[in-house]
Amino acid sequence: MRDLFLKQLEELHTMLIEMGALCESVIERSQAALMQEDRGAAAEIIEKDSEIDMKEREIESMCLKLLLQQQPVASDLRKVSAALKMITDMERIGDQAADIAEIIKTTDLKAPVQELRLGEMAKATMKMVSESIDSFVKNDLILAKKVIDDDDIIDNLFLEVRDELGRMMQVQEATPEQLFDLLMIAKYYERIGDHATNIAEWVVFSLTGEHRSAELVK
Amino acid sequence: MKKKILKSTTMLVILSVLLTFLVMNFVVYNKTYEEMKSIVNTECHYIRDGLNEAGDGYLTQDISDISSSRITLIDTDGDVLFDSAGESYLMENHGDRPEVQQALAQGYGSDARFSDTLSKQAYYYAMRLKDGRIIRVSNTVDTVLTNVFSGFVLVLLLIAGIGVASLAFIRRWAEQVTAPINNMDLNHPLENVTYDELSPLLVRLDQQNKQIKDQIVQLRQNQEEYLAITEYMDDGLIVTNRHVVLSVNRAAQNLFHVKREECVGHDIITVSRNEDLKDAFQKALSGESEERLMDIGGKVYQLHANPVRVGNEKVSGTVLLLLDVTEKQKAEVMRREFSANVSHELKTPLMSISGYAELIENNMVKPADIANFAGRIHSEAARLSSLVADIIKLSRLDEDDGTLPMETVDLYTLAQEVAGRLSLRAAETDITLEVTGKPQQIQGVRQVLYEMLYNLSDNAIKYNKPGGYVKIDISEVNGHARVKIADNGIGIAKEDQERIFERFYRVDKSHSRETGGTGLGLSIVKHGALLHDARLMIDSTPDVGTTIRILF
Repeated sequence: MRDLFLKQLEELHTMLIEMGALCESVIERSQAALMQEDRGAAAEIIEKDSEIDMKEREIESMCLKLLLQQQPVASDLRKVSAALKMITDMERIGDQAADIAEIIKTTDLKAPVQELRLGEMAKATMKMVSESIDSFVKNDLILAKKVIDDDDIIDNLFLEVRDELGRMMQVQEATPEQLFDLLMIAKYYERIGDHATNIAEWVVFSLTGEHRSAELVK
Repeated sequence: MKKKILKSTTMLVILSVLLTFLVMNFVVYNKTYEEMKSIVNTECHYIRDGLNEAGDGYLTQDISDISSSRITLIDTDGDVLFDSAGESYLMENHGDRPEVQQALAQGYGSDARFSDTLSKQAYYYAMRLKDGRIIRVSNTVDTVLTNVFSGFVLVLLLIAGIGVASLAFIRRWAEQVTAPINNMDLNHPLENVTYDELSPLLVRLDQQNKQIKDQIVQLRQNQEEYLAITEYMDDGLIVTNRHVVLSVNRAAQNLFHVKREECVGHDIITVSRNEDLKDAFQKALSGESEERLMDIGGKVYQLHANPVRVGNEKVSGTVLLLLDVTEKQKAEVMRREFSANVSHELKTPLMSISGYAELIENNMVKPADIANFAGRIHSEAARLSSLVADIIKLSRLDEDDGTLPMETVDLYTLAQEVAGRLSLRAAETDITLEVTGKPQQIQGVRQVLYEMLYNLSDNAIKYNKPGGYVKIDISEVNGHARVKIADNGIGIAKEDQERIFERFYRVDKSHSRETGGTGLGLSIVKHGALLHDARLMIDSTPDVGTTIRILF
């Protein structure tokens, strides 16, 4: 019985990494799509997003099956419940990358993109998502905490991009449509950073049994 | 073993107690029965004699107090006249009893019957009196079954008692028997053999122990060899079975930033989330060998994924090998660029030549201009030939297999030769060219060294400003000869400095032919330096000047 459970836990672990890998690759593509105006990549992201959704369902039913059939306790229970929460965040990452891809597909952003620090933002979020998944794969508490701290970098970048867009609006360097879309993209990246932070927080929870939200309640 | 001994011995004890009890019962029963029979017989004789002598008065009711036997007097017709056990007139006719009949016929008779229940056995003995009446004496004993039943509870108690007593004893005994077996040192089975019966087994065990030890040593050696090979190789190696990673060598761990314990025994995805790796792994599992290039951390790796088949045809695992091919890849790209450039560079002058020639052929050029056109054709042809000459030089350096003649060359003399050759050109553009230093002898290929100095000085003059200078200095630094060529020309931008030694690379992207040159000069310098194991250092600031040092 225990053997079967361990096998299922391992399977769950693998599936989570696979889903994480998909998230990583959509963000990477989104960055390529954004910086090189690659419409093909944008279409690919939208396709991958549905793959992520499917993976979410799969992992969800796996988690529920584990909870019902094995009734795990202690760290096993934390792991399964953390997995259940993590996949929602991963799924949101996929959605937001798909939203970015949608904007790239419909709007011509080319000129202003290069002047903004959007590329840097995309890279920073990509790194955060990668590291949050790495911390999960390696059960690395320190890395998870680093990811949580790194969220400030993205937040600051977002503010910078926003201010720069405000300046562009005043001197009319870009069309209002472009400006709004760029702001949306920046916001999406900022949100992706938040989701990566959430994932890292759940990693911390599954390792230590403490979640940051608990501190807030105290 | 102890249990078995315990069980069988206990069984044996119980069985023997039971059997003894039964046999004893039977023997005792027989004995008492026989005794009772003879007593009854004797009694009967006495009473008969008494009756014969003393008459019926001999029999009184008191007789039942004297004798435990039942005494009956029966009339000739079978009516009971007297019975010690009860009122005679209540009794039925006894004439049909076998013992009475026998006595009537032959003077005496006997019979044995079970009484109404089976619990008693009765014996009857009858004798005929002188007057023809019959005297019968009888007695009863308990039957075997009755004895057995009456003694059974006792026997059970006995068995329980014996069982408890013997259990303790048997257990101790069993422990004593099995103790040497339990205490046997299985690592050294031959050291104290207690039971001879076990020695063949122990000899065999000893042999197998030795065999196992040898095999472990062998296995450990193999393991160490495998580790030595895989851990110290530069290429990443990952071995998997059908589902999980079996080993990851050091190079692969560094490459993917993982630790062994993080991925051994887990899915391949724990090594890296790289899609290429996973795809190649799946391909290999399906039985196909797979080769692909992967970008990892800015380096290019060639991934070989091969299926492992042990014994039968089924794929039991995979071996993934990662080779760093960054350099190779770069060289490949450069070679491709080179051939593209060569054809382009060769084509440009050829197109001009063929264009001019075509114009002349079609009489589209005034006779007066023909000389001018021929001049252009000439200069383009000269360019072409110098280009071809440079390519030949380069390919000779490329293919150097030690056949170029090494000799003692004096760099100072060589520098003066070069300066002499270039002085006219320098004078044309109002540039001072001077050679300083003192003679330095080195071992080298004269032609190549000349080419190097010439190209560097030529560049220094070409990319200079009017009124500028070019200084060639030959000196000795720490026992090594050093050539320094300095100018105060236009300089080279930082980002270009790395690339100027590439073939056909030009700072001026227009590939303008204003300054002439083939784009191969510095490449020849670089290869020449490589040939002479010399170090090439460049120090340049745009608009200030360039200094190039060659340290032999």
